[in-house]
Amino acid sequence: MASETSDGPLARWTQGVIEDTEQRNRLYRSLFYVVTLFFLVTTLFPFYWLLVLALTPNSLIRQGNWDLPFLRPQGFNWEAFVEVFQQIPFHLYVFNSFVLALITTVIVLFIASLAGYVFGRLEFPGRGVLMLGILAISYFPPAAFLVPLFEAFTGNVVVLPFVGVELFKPPRLVNTPGAMVLPFSALFLPLSIFILTTFYGQIPEGLEDAARVEGTTRLGALFRVIIPLSAPGVATASVLTFIAVYNEYFFSSIMALSNQPEQWSPLVGGILSYQTQYTTSFNLMAAASVIGVLPVVILVVVAQERIVSGLTAGALKE
Amino acid sequence: MSAEEPESAPTRESRKSGALVSAVRWMENLGETGFAYLLLTPVFILLGAIALYPLLRTFELSLYTNVIGVGDAEWVGFEHYVDLFTGEADSNFPGTTQFLWGDVTVNGEFPFVHVERLLRSALAVTLIFTVVSVFFETLIGFGQALVLDQDFYGRRWVRVAIIIPWAIPIVIQGMIFFLMFHPSAGFATDILAPYGIVAETNTLNDPASGLLLAIVADIWKTSAFMALLILAGLQSIDRSLYDVAKVAGASRWQQFRLITFPLILPTLGVAVLFRTIDAMRIYGLIDISSSCSVVPSLSCMVVSTFTTQRGLSSAVAFVTAGVIAIAVLGVIYQQYREGF
Repeated sequence: MASETSDGPLARWTQGVIEDTEQRNRLYRSLFYVVTLFFLVTTLFPFYWLLVLALTPNSLIRQGNWDLPFLRPQGFNWEAFVEVFQQIPFHLYVFNSFVLALITTVIVLFIASLAGYVFGRLEFPGRGVLMLGILAISYFPPAAFLVPLFEAFTGNVVVLPFVGVELFKPPRLVNTPGAMVLPFSALFLPLSIFILTTFYGQIPEGLEDAARVEGTTRLGALFRVIIPLSAPGVATASVLTFIAVYNEYFFSSIMALSNQPEQWSPLVGGILSYQTQYTTSFNLMAAASVIGVLPVVILVVVAQERIVSGLTAGALKE
Repeated sequence: MSAEEPESAPTRESRKSGALVSAVRWMENLGETGFAYLLLTPVFILLGAIALYPLLRTFELSLYTNVIGVGDAEWVGFEHYVDLFTGEADSNFPGTTQFLWGDVTVNGEFPFVHVERLLRSALAVTLIFTVVSVFFETLIGFGQALVLDQDFYGRRWVRVAIIIPWAIPIVIQGMIFFLMFHPSAGFATDILAPYGIVAETNTLNDPASGLLLAIVADIWKTSAFMALLILAGLQSIDRSLYDVAKVAGASRWQQFRLITFPLILPTLGVAVLFRTIDAMRIYGLIDISSSCSVVPSLSCMVVSTFTTQRGLSSAVAFVTAGVIAIAVLGVIYQQYREGF
């Protein structure tokens, strides 16, 4: 778009774009940067907003004098990040979330490893139907499981549906990790099964055979050869399960009957606790959210390759 | 290592090592099919107990009333379902929620269905939410995928930035948008209200604004998921096709229209189905950002009735599962056609 002569710069420039490849590529390039910038701003702005709220003292938030359109913190009240832990034991909620996520991840990985081995490496009748069945079950909404699970977890007798035979009386699981770990494991098991099926299926037959010739059992070969060789796949499934549990809302908010850390209420309960105080502390809600986001942000930065490959493998079965 | 396997627990009488050896030998001698089903037992137990049993039991409970009251539950057959679809059950939902939209009137001067009515219906709200959010997620996800498909300096970090919203807890996602539109803390109402996009006062208690809020928040969080799936599809396209196109003198638009788009279409279909199924479960986001009585989704109705009207709640839950099952059938058909 160099020369501005009689035609007017815009016309010249348009002409140039149409005729000159070099100029056209430059246009594409700048358009590309504009679009990229747009996506960056839209995805990151909400986090900036949290930070602004967290750093602004609560009294100033209530006045609501945000100088638009350039939002910035009113003051620099970093004490909010300390107050978060003083007003309620927020660290305990985060701890609960971590424990629940870790237990679930271990259970899911163990069961999914066995299943992934079966689906990835064995040929047997019913394989396709079973995989479809698992796929189908994993899509049903948590709401469809809620009522019977809540009944069972509050210690009511489990009854065989439509037959009326009373099976057993389960222990009262609400307010314990079990009431959340069980539904989480079932909800997030299928994704791990599909990821591990893909990865375990890719290990060459010869390696397993070699291990078997050495005298290991089939399970020995799975745990000593196939799983170590599929370390990236196992890492992928772990990271995705961990994030999924940490982010879960439905059972997290229902199965702990009140927002007490002693009742295994996870992150959800912690963040909502700032609302029920005598005064709503917006800055603390925001600060707690910033703290709650940090673990997953770190996980995403560290394990982004794994997340990307896991999501696509789980969904698309490449 | 195989000592850690809990299956086929040895009997207590026999010596431990002897029992173990025979258990291992028994397992080794199983045929491939037997071995496969043995290893799948934990999956069957877990999914059977936590998914299949509740699903069947939900259906059974939906045929009863007075499930938690004093005395025995009373068999009512399909009455709850009939009540849902005739509006008899509406009074049990929070707020002014209905299950179906009531009289969807088309008044003369305004050629649209009665919006106010539609937004009070649990079924309609869920479907509107799903269609609108999935549509925009696909569009934006496609855009993001096209950006990430390019080679440029800092691509890794742009990808991190785009994925991060996908990875954050629902409670925090809801909290962010709740705070944005909160009457005393937020700023967004002041910007958007003059254009009539959201309600000027009580934004979080206005059905239309609440739904819009949930949709925007969902788009913000899950576009990244779409982007990643589409990106995987883009990267599996054979690059030499583009070289051929360039030699043939195809413009970028032609390359997109004739190569990229047709080849990405199957992936796009799968991704849209996945998101549709997931979007129809919407609950947590609404619960945090506005409330279930303002934006009634199907899952919302299940949660808000399950402590009082367990039979009715089960009926809503089963209908929700049924609606989602339609989309699931689509996925299953797709997977089946590709062949497992």
